[in-house]
Amino acid sequence: MTTLAYTPFLDALAIHDHWYLLIVPMSIFLAIGYKSVRCSDMNRFFREVIIFTIQILGGLLLLAIAFTVVIVVLLPLLAPMPG
Amino acid sequence: MSMPPPTGFNPLAGLVAAIFPGAGHLILGQPRRALFAAIGVMGLFFFGLLVGGIDAIDSNNDRIWFFGQALVGPSTFIVDRIHQSQFKAYDLDTGILRSGNPGERRIIDADRPVWEPLTYEEIEAGLGPPNIPGLGRLNEIAMLSIVLAGMLNLIIFLDALMPNPNHASSPKSGGNS
Repeated sequence: MTTLAYTPFLDALAIHDHWYLLIVPMSIFLAIGYKSVRCSDMNRFFREVIIFTIQILGGLLLLAIAFTVVIVVLLPLLAPMPG
Repeated sequence: MSMPPPTGFNPLAGLVAAIFPGAGHLILGQPRRALFAAIGVMGLFFFGLLVGGIDAIDSNNDRIWFFGQALVGPSTFIVDRIHQSQFKAYDLDTGILRSGNPGERRIIDADRPVWEPLTYEEIEAGLGPPNIPGLGRLNEIAMLSIVLAGMLNLIIFLDALMPNPNHASSPKSGGNS
């Protein structure tokens, strides 16, 4: 058995530098599945999926900004590192 | 204070929904909801497998994650069975069933699969374990994607088991009639 060729669904993808982009398709699939049972008017299904996807990604972006501020700005102020 | 909307109870739809995501809504006469539910759950499931490989489902090494992944249904158990039986082998020193490392080959020895170390020439020739396990953050994202599929399927299963009468068979709500 060779280790050189990538086999989809058997081998892991080597995209360690772009892992954060994987949240986009995950959010889309999550929104499609959730809105399939929570959308009262299926004529508005795709509109609601798009809005929910943007809400998930926006929420995660805000969380990322908040944690960045805490780690990069607040923590050095509260506990400055020597040197 | 407003009362919650009344719900029905459909054990057949619940049973079918437990077997395959979205199938319960097909029984309820809501094919559009069934299709999108299946796309959502199985999309997350196969996306996790695409990112992390078959190693993303492992009832042996990632037991806690597996409990969440099992909510997807029989698909998870089938993939896990294939993973344990076709891609893992026993360590010759410790006797533990594990995934292969680079520089090892899976062989059948005395009716059980074991990992055999490869020579430098064999490694250069491209021999190795049958799959490349996911590592670090990518492995976590792959497992998380399948756990999300399981949790999403739980919501869809409950919706099929106790359907909202307001969603019943109308074209506006995804039904037939």
